[in-house]
Amino acid sequence: MMRRHILSLAAGAALMFGLAPAAEAAWPERPVTIIVPAAAGGGTDATGRLLAKQLQDIFKQPFNVVNQGQAGGVVGHTNIATARPDGYTIGVIYPYAQYKLLGQADITRDMFQPVAQFNFDPAGFHAPANTPHKTLKEALAAIKANPSKFKIGCGGPCGGSWDIPVSGLFIDQGIDTKQITFIPSNGAAVSLQELAAGGLDFVTASAPEAKALIEAGKVHPLVVMSDDRIPAFPNIAPVKEQIGKTFEGGAWRGVAGPKGLPQDIVQSLEKALKQIYDSAEFRDAMTARGFGMRWRTSGEFTAFLKEHEEFTARIMTALNMVKK
Amino acid sequence: MEVMLQALALLLEPYTLMVILLASFFGLFVGSMPGLTATMATALLVPVTFFMAPVPAIAAVVAASAMAIFAGDIPGALLRIPGTPASAAYTDEAYAMTRKGEGEMALGAGVTCSVFGGLFGAAALMFFAPPLAELALKFSSFEYFWLSCLGLACAILVAPGSAVKSTISLLFGLLIACVGIDSMTGYTRFTFGYVQLTGGLSLIPVLVGMYAVAEIIRYAITIDAPITIAQKKIGNIFAGQIPMMWKYKVGIMRGNVVGTLIGALPGAGADIAAWVSYAMSKKFSKEPEKFGTGHVEGIAEAGAANNSALGGAYVPATVFGIPGDSITAIVIGVLYMKGMNPGPTIFIRNPELIYAVFLSFILANLMMLPLGWIAIKSAKQVLSVPRSILMPIILMFCLVGSFAIDNTVFAVTVMLIFGVIGFLMEENGIPIAPAVLGLVLGPLIENNFITSMMKAEGNFLPFFERPIAGVLGVVTILVWLAPLAVWLWRRSQGHRAAVRA
Repeated sequence: MMRRHILSLAAGAALMFGLAPAAEAAWPERPVTIIVPAAAGGGTDATGRLLAKQLQDIFKQPFNVVNQGQAGGVVGHTNIATARPDGYTIGVIYPYAQYKLLGQADITRDMFQPVAQFNFDPAGFHAPANTPHKTLKEALAAIKANPSKFKIGCGGPCGGSWDIPVSGLFIDQGIDTKQITFIPSNGAAVSLQELAAGGLDFVTASAPEAKALIEAGKVHPLVVMSDDRIPAFPNIAPVKEQIGKTFEGGAWRGVAGPKGLPQDIVQSLEKALKQIYDSAEFRDAMTARGFGMRWRTSGEFTAFLKEHEEFTARIMTALNMVKK
Repeated sequence: MEVMLQALALLLEPYTLMVILLASFFGLFVGSMPGLTATMATALLVPVTFFMAPVPAIAAVVAASAMAIFAGDIPGALLRIPGTPASAAYTDEAYAMTRKGEGEMALGAGVTCSVFGGLFGAAALMFFAPPLAELALKFSSFEYFWLSCLGLACAILVAPGSAVKSTISLLFGLLIACVGIDSMTGYTRFTFGYVQLTGGLSLIPVLVGMYAVAEIIRYAITIDAPITIAQKKIGNIFAGQIPMMWKYKVGIMRGNVVGTLIGALPGAGADIAAWVSYAMSKKFSKEPEKFGTGHVEGIAEAGAANNSALGGAYVPATVFGIPGDSITAIVIGVLYMKGMNPGPTIFIRNPELIYAVFLSFILANLMMLPLGWIAIKSAKQVLSVPRSILMPIILMFCLVGSFAIDNTVFAVTVMLIFGVIGFLMEENGIPIAPAVLGLVLGPLIENNFITSMMKAEGNFLPFFERPIAGVLGVVTILVWLAPLAVWLWRRSQGHRAAVRA
């Protein structure tokens, strides 16, 4: 209610000063803020800054990246969802469904106006180099036979982009996931370090995150959670090749604004993002960092968020992770 | 050798040298502003490096972060406000020196020991990176747990005066470290349903508040009789540095080694290296009673440690792609972006690039001598500015710095509140340094303890089962029990003496 009041006041003021509402057509007529719910320097920040630079070139207005990585992204996602829907505050979003399920913040797809998805990175499943389980099949069989024996690092807080898809595969294979000890951490690097130090049996994380340790011969990658091999890792067989089932899951990133973002702004942003997505500059930069490319239009992204929430809820319920 | 020459040629290109020089000035500026950290200097540089060749891109980050860590000492010595958290350990000491009229020595020690530490860290990186990284990779949560417990003991060691009051301060720091979402289980604690608190209390606003704002409040209430008149002029900062460094050569060397090792351990960086080195310096000093009164020994050792930690942090980052601290976490991204993918192959695939990066460490540290001198020369002007003008300007920088760290007005509120808390604590003789260390170490201890307990399924024995963990655990417990044992022994001696009498 309050927000609507402010909006109508603002509209009134605009009329009084002779600024026709048609000014919307000229969006953006002042700098736009892009909230990145991650600390400066990480992967999400890098993609946000790449987009910001090219959006700036297209719209001839500054697009300023604001990092809000506190509380694992809760603060940033909340601020994107509750921003004034005038097109001057948008953000990069990534898997968020666990916040509500863990009782951390009520963030749902109803609060966002999705614009486009530009990235998808499949989850990976890794063992230490000296593991007796050299293939996904062997690892799954061993875990199924004795689930309480295994400790699996989540590559971040549990309930995140990596452990949820892998848990989905476990459940599909009839493994009693409740007996497995899942160990959270402050990010993939911490879990992978534990794995190499001999403190864990497996870690869920993306292949690029484990790349240096794989090359150093400290980590043995078992699978990537996608249908096809990923170009940067031609030697890691995807789920489909190893057990003959289609299973895809991992982290994704997209651009969204708060609910109520005017449709003409959504359309012009989506068009600009598609242009950036297709540019060689963006593709080269994404490939250099090891980020996967995936395009979903505003409509497809909206439908995908529903899928994301339902899948996360189903797996977290099965893992007994849902609070309250 | 040929590789080294190629690397040197890459580094000595005019464009690269220009970038290093500009990045150095940028680092000096950011580091000397309270609230702006070396990590932030690095993060701000990243978008600029998008358009550079690999060597100037990484060299810019190296130069800016090294300068920022050193520059943090300048406002610490002149105004008792640490420019970056890495200087917090010895800020009181440096300021006490300036008040005694020994500002040249404090600032000079900051420059020369930073240079020495930085060069040592760079040498360790160039010649011992693979074996050091292997060692760092042996640390699991058990080892980290004991290491951070040892860090807690430092809090009591570094603080002058009452151990009870230091403990109170430390516990307060650990308590405020609990605020926010617990990253292990995902529960929210002490947030009172307030979204802004879910992220916890960031170190920078708390640090800036407790040091800088508390200082401003202290100035404001003592307007009639200014008690904090620091030295008015700074003379030649390099005078007497060589005899000083020779006198404390053992301590400075220890600072170099400790700094490099702590830097190389993922998760612990320059901040913790400085605290640990300062505490060790006091513990092993021949004159521990001088610590806290304006004594250069601890500044020299900790000043060397925090700069050598920078080089150490690149060890696991380049060899295994695991960040050694928050700066290298950003650097790894830049390395990938430039096609210099971290991993053992970095030394095989394009050795001239990575050696150029290592050489840039040496160059940046050598440049610190003249640039540091310029920075101190210009910064000392603040001493001649009337405090009634200076204090509001500092407050403004504190506001900007706190806002910049999280981009929220909430952080500014946190800073102001902790300014009042810091003021009240010091007025009552409770030191603030242990509280800051508690806030730094709290999450590290808790995360590693919970991870260890989950892995051990609630059993305490595995905390001693791994060889390194076992040794660290025993040492930690001995450090904790030693004062008690000494006290009991003295008491029994006194008792015996009384009986004999």
